[in-house]
Amino acid sequence: MSSILFENKKDFEALLMGNDAIARGALEAGVNVVTGYPGTPSSEIVEQLANVAGERNLYVEWSVNEKVALEVAAAGSYANLKSLCVMKQVGVNVAADSLLHIAEYGTRGPLVLVSCEDPGALSSTNEGDSRPYAKMMEFPLLEPGDFQEAKDMARWAFELSCDIRNIVMLRSVTRLSHASGNVIMGKLPKSIPEAIFEFSGTPMDQMKGAVLAFPTLVDSLRRRQHEKLSKAVAAFEESPFNTYTGPQKPELLIITSSVCNLYTREALTILNLWDRVGLLKLGTTWPLPSKLLEQHLSVCEKIFIVEEGTPFLEDNIKVMAAEKAKQVGIKTFFGRKDGTLPCVNELNPDLLIKGINHILGTSVQPVLDDYSAEAAQIIAAGVFNRELTFCPGCPHRASFWLIHTALKLDNRSGFLCGDIGCYGLGAGPCGFSTIKILQAMGSGIGMAGGFGKFDRFGMSQSVMAVCGDSTFFHAAMPALVNAVHNQSDMILVVLDNSGTAMTGFQPHPGSPAGAMGSKLPMLDIEKLCRAMDVRVEVSDPFDLKATRQILLEFLEDKGNPRVLILKQPCALSPIRKGRKMYEMAIDADRCLADHCGCNRLCTRVFKCPGLIWDTIKNKIQIDEVLCAGCGVCASICPTGAITAKKVR
Amino acid sequence: MENTLRCDPYNLIIAGVGGQGNVLASRVLGDMMIHQGYTVTIGETFGASQRGGSVMSHLRISARGGFSPQMPKGKANMVVALEPMEAIRVLAVYGNPKVKVLCNTRPIQSVGVICGEQIYPEKKQIIKWIESLSADAKFFDTTKAALNLGNPVFGNIMAMGALSSTGDLPMSLNVFEQVILKKVPAHKVEINLEAYKIGKGMVIA
Amino acid sequence: MDKDDKNQQGQQGINTKVLKQGLCTGCCACVNLCPSIEYYKDKTILVHDCNLEKGRCFTYCPRTPTDFEMLRCALFNPGDMVLEIGAFKGLYMTRAADENIRAGAQHGGTVTALIQLALDQGFIDEAILADQNDQFLPAAQSIVDKDEVSGKSGSKFAVSPTLSVFNRISKTDTGKIGVVATPCQALALAKMKVNPVPEDKMRMEKLRLVLGLFCGWALDWRKLQKLLKEKTGDRKIKGIDILPSKYACMEVYTMDGTIEIPIEEVNTCVRDNCRYCFDMTCEFADISVGAARSPEGWDVDRGWNQVIVRTDLGGQLLALAREKGVLEFKAVPDKNIENLKKASAGKKLTCLINLSEKTGNPDDFIYIDPEDPVVRHIKKLRG
Repeated sequence: MSSILFENKKDFEALLMGNDAIARGALEAGVNVVTGYPGTPSSEIVEQLANVAGERNLYVEWSVNEKVALEVAAAGSYANLKSLCVMKQVGVNVAADSLLHIAEYGTRGPLVLVSCEDPGALSSTNEGDSRPYAKMMEFPLLEPGDFQEAKDMARWAFELSCDIRNIVMLRSVTRLSHASGNVIMGKLPKSIPEAIFEFSGTPMDQMKGAVLAFPTLVDSLRRRQHEKLSKAVAAFEESPFNTYTGPQKPELLIITSSVCNLYTREALTILNLWDRVGLLKLGTTWPLPSKLLEQHLSVCEKIFIVEEGTPFLEDNIKVMAAEKAKQVGIKTFFGRKDGTLPCVNELNPDLLIKGINHILGTSVQPVLDDYSAEAAQIIAAGVFNRELTFCPGCPHRASFWLIHTALKLDNRSGFLCGDIGCYGLGAGPCGFSTIKILQAMGSGIGMAGGFGKFDRFGMSQSVMAVCGDSTFFHAAMPALVNAVHNQSDMILVVLDNSGTAMTGFQPHPGSPAGAMGSKLPMLDIEKLCRAMDVRVEVSDPFDLKATRQILLEFLEDKGNPRVLILKQPCALSPIRKGRKMYEMAIDADRCLADHCGCNRLCTRVFKCPGLIWDTIKNKIQIDEVLCAGCGVCASICPTGAITAKKVR
Repeated sequence: MENTLRCDPYNLIIAGVGGQGNVLASRVLGDMMIHQGYTVTIGETFGASQRGGSVMSHLRISARGGFSPQMPKGKANMVVALEPMEAIRVLAVYGNPKVKVLCNTRPIQSVGVICGEQIYPEKKQIIKWIESLSADAKFFDTTKAALNLGNPVFGNIMAMGALSSTGDLPMSLNVFEQVILKKVPAHKVEINLEAYKIGKGMVIA
Repeated sequence: MDKDDKNQQGQQGINTKVLKQGLCTGCCACVNLCPSIEYYKDKTILVHDCNLEKGRCFTYCPRTPTDFEMLRCALFNPGDMVLEIGAFKGLYMTRAADENIRAGAQHGGTVTALIQLALDQGFIDEAILADQNDQFLPAAQSIVDKDEVSGKSGSKFAVSPTLSVFNRISKTDTGKIGVVATPCQALALAKMKVNPVPEDKMRMEKLRLVLGLFCGWALDWRKLQKLLKEKTGDRKIKGIDILPSKYACMEVYTMDGTIEIPIEEVNTCVRDNCRYCFDMTCEFADISVGAARSPEGWDVDRGWNQVIVRTDLGGQLLALAREKGVLEFKAVPDKNIENLKKASAGKKLTCLINLSEKTGNPDDFIYIDPEDPVVRHIKKLRG
C-alpha cells in the first residue's frame, strides 16, 4: 500500500479527495512548514503532509490551537520558508487577531492559509463563512471550483503570496474537501530551504527589517498593504482560474465560485440552457477582478449570484455594479438575498434548477410525482432516522451516565456546559441530555466560570462543564485560569480519551508523539491543574462507583473550581480498538427484562449499541460484533444478569 | 477509450451506516474507473455521520467529467445498499422508476431500536418496498458471507463484486486487483480478492 | 380513576402524584426496588426515567391511593379497632430497666430494650433501625447483634431511609426481620405485606415485626442543615435535641456551649409532607412507642414511654419484656388514652383539611378514601 498522492512524477492522473488535492498542490509549491489544528472538513490536509514529512523534508505540527498554528506558520514565512496553515472555518476566528497583524505587515516566504468550511453544518455547530475576513483584513482570497483547481490553486496561492508578499487565503468547503475527482499531477520540486530571520534593515524593509506593528508604522504598513492588494487584482484580472462559459450575450449571467460551480454546471446541463445562460466562475473572490466583472456585467441585464455562506460575492458585486453603473447599466440581481436561493444551508443542483426556473420561467422537471408520493408513503410507514450515538465502549457514555446521576442526586437543577468534540452528543439522548449549553471550543468552561459567580443574584444551581483533552489545551486553559482566579463555584470534568478523537486521533500537547510521529514530551493535564492550585481528582469513568463518589463530593464542596479528569482512551483509539478489556456474558435467568425492578436499564436508558434487545425472548443479548468489552453495562445491571470477565 | 458505460454519466449511490466501509468501496470503484480512463466525481459525507448515522457516497462516472459531488434528485441509475433501510432512504430522494438496486438484506439496528422507541420493519416488507421503488432489485446477505470470511467489514468489497456482475460498468477482477493492491496492506489483498469474487457470484445477472 | 391515572401507576405516577405534590415522606419504600430511584441526602430522587405503567414504587408508596380499611382488616383483629388510634390491645407506660439504655435514649429507651430483646429471644434475626451520621444526616442500618442496638438510640429529627435497607436486606437470604418504623414507613410496610406483587411474596414473608414510633413531624435535613449553619457558623456541633420539657426550642450542643433555636424557626424546617400525614401513633405497627405524656404535664413522666399494643405478636413481645425484666412498667393515668385519641384525631383532622385545601375539593384527600370509616368519623367529630 503506498500513497499515489505523493508519487514524484508528472502528469499522471488520479482520483483525489479535495483535501488531498490541496496537500498535493502545497507539495508541488515546495511547502516547508505545515501547521494546523484538527477540524472537519480540514484535517486530512495536515495528516497527508505529515505522512510525507520525512521524505519531503517538511516540518509538520498539530498546533495547540489555530492562532498558534498561524503564528508558527508565520514564523516560517519570516524565516523565508514556504508555509501552509490549515484549519476549519471556526479556527479562522481563533486566529483572527494574529491574522490581522500578519496581513498588515505582509510576509517574506509565501504563507497560505487554508480554511475548509462547512456550509450546511454537516459536521459543525455553525455555518461560519471566513471569506469576509479577506475583505475586512485586506488580503487575497482564492476559491477553487473543482478538484483539479483545488490542487492547482493551492500551488498558485504560494506563488501569489510570494509575488505580493502577503498572506493568501484558500477557501474550500466540505463538498470539495471531502469529495473526490480526477486530478492531473504536476511535478514535485526540489527545495533546499535556508531558514533565517533577518532584522538588520529598517522597519519598513519588509524582507530585512524587524517585523513590528508600531502605531507610528501603521500608516505606512497599510499603504504597503493596499499596494499588495492592487498587485493581486492585476493578477486576478488575467487569472485562468476565472472562467466564462456560455454565449457572448447571455439572457442570464450566473456568477459563482467554489463547489457551486459544479452545481450550476449540472443544473444548466439538465435544463439544457448553455445557449442562453452564461456562467462566470470566479476563482479569485477578493479583491474582485473589476475589469473582468465590468466586461461581463455590461452584456447582460439579469445577474444571478450563486454562493454558499453569507452573500459575500453578492454584496461586493452589487457595490461594484453601483460604482460602475455608468459603464454597465442598471442590473437586476438574483441570489440569496431576494430568495431565489434559500438564504441558509448548503446548495445543490436541485436548488439551482429551481432558482434558474424561477428567473427564466423555464419548467421544473426533477422527480416524477407518482414515484415521489409512493416513496414518501414508504418512508413514513417504516423508515426511521438513525440517531447519532456514542460508539460501543465509548468512555463518554459512562462519563455522562455519571454526571447525569450526580446532578440528579444533587437535586439543585444543576446543569452541564458542553464543548466541541464527540462529547457534544452529551446534549442528546445518548448522553442522557446532560449538556444544556453548547457553543464554541472552550466556551463551556468560560460560561461555567460565569454561572459559578452568580450566587449573589440568587443562583443556586450546580454548575459543571466538560471538555476533551485536546480542547483543554486548545481553549479551556485560559477559561479555567479565569475561573480559578475569580473563585468561581464550578466543576470542570476533563474527558481525557487520549487524543483528538472526533477528527481521527490527531495528537495534541498531551500526546506522546507529534504529527510527524516523533516522540515529544507529554503535558500532564493533572499537573497543569495542580499548578493552578485547584482541587484535582483523576478517575476512570468505567469505575462507576469511585467516580460517582468523587463527583458527589465535588458537588458538596463549594467555592472554588474543582477539576475531575476522567481518563479512558477512546474505544476507536489504536490502543483499544479490537481489544476487549472484558468478555461480556449474559445470565438470562437473572435478566428482569422489562419487568419492574429494572425495565431494561441497559438498553432502554444506557443504550449502548453493543447490546441487543431480543424482543422475542424478552432478554438482553450482547452483540458480539459490536461490543467493545468495556464492562460498564455489567456495572449498571441491577441483577447481575450481565457479567464481565477480565480478558487475559 | 471505448465508453462501455450503460449510460453517461452513470450515477451510482453506495448507501449504508457509519462503519460499514462506504468510503473504501466508493474509492475502490472510483479508482477502478479512473484506471480505465473515465472521469469520476465522488461526493460523500463523513464526520458526525460516522457515529451510527446514515452515510452515502454519490459516484458520477463519465467519459466527460465536471459533475456535481451531490447528485441531482431522482437521477440515480444504481443504488448499492450495504443496509436495506438505507436503500429506501436513498431511493426516496434519488430513485426513479428505472433505477436498479443491489441490496444487502442484513439490517443494522438503530439506537432507537435498541431502546425500544423504533421498530425495524420485517425483511419481507423491506424487500417489497425496495422492489416497488426500483426497476430491478437484487438481494443478498453479504454480512453473512463476510462473517464467514472472518469480518463483516468485507461486505463492502463483496457489494462491489456484486456490482461488477451486472455488466453496467467495466469492473474486471484484474482491474480490481490492481486497485486494491494500492489500497490495503499486502497481507489483506488476497482476502479482498476473495470477497470480490464471492460478491460477484452472488448475483445472477 | 381516569385513563391517565391507570397509565400512571409507576414512576410517572410517583413523580406527578407524590413528588410534585409535595407528599413524599422520604420513607424510602420505593428505593432499592430498581436502579432508577435513589435516596440521597434526605431526598427521593428519580435518577432515570421509567415508563412502566405499573410499578412497585407506586404500589407500595404510603402516599399513593390506599385502601386503609382493607389493610386494617388484613393485619388486625377488627374487634380491636379504635377509630382515632387504630388497633388497640392496651396502653402501657414503660421504660428500659437498664440505666445505660435510658441514658442514651430520648425518652424511656423502650424501643432499644424491645429490639434487643426481640433479637436476643429469636423473635427476629435482623433488625433495621434508624441511624445518622455526624451531620445528623439520617441513615439506616440492619443489625443482627443486640449489642449494637443501643448505639443507635436517641432522637432523630429527619426521616431515616429505613425501608431502602429493608428492600435490600429482604432480598438476601436473611431470616425474620424486625423494623423500627415511623407511621409512613409502617404504612408502606403494611401495603407491601398485605398486597405484595407476586415476586415479592417470599420477601415479605420475612417481615416479622414492625415496631412503630409515634410521630408528629420530621425535619427536612437540608433545611435543618441550613438553619444550623446560620445559627452556629463554623462551630462543631456535638448534638441537637428538643427536650420534651422545653418544646419551645431546639438545643444545639457545640464545643462552645449550647445554642437555643426557637421552635418557630425549627418549624420552618418541618417537611412539607408532614402536613398531610394521617397517622400520629403509627397505627400499622405491631406495637407503637412514643413519649409518655401525663395530663399533669411533661415533667411528671419525663423519661417514660407510652406503648400501644396492637397485635398478638406485639402483646407477646411486651409480655416477654415484663417477664424478663428488661422493661419497667408504671400505671397509666386514666386520662392518657383520651388525650392520645384527641391528639391523634387532631392530626388526622389537620391532615384532611390540608389535603382538601391542596386539591381544592372538600372530598378529595388524594391518597385517602373519603369513604374510609376513620375519615367519616373524623369529619363527624369536626361537625
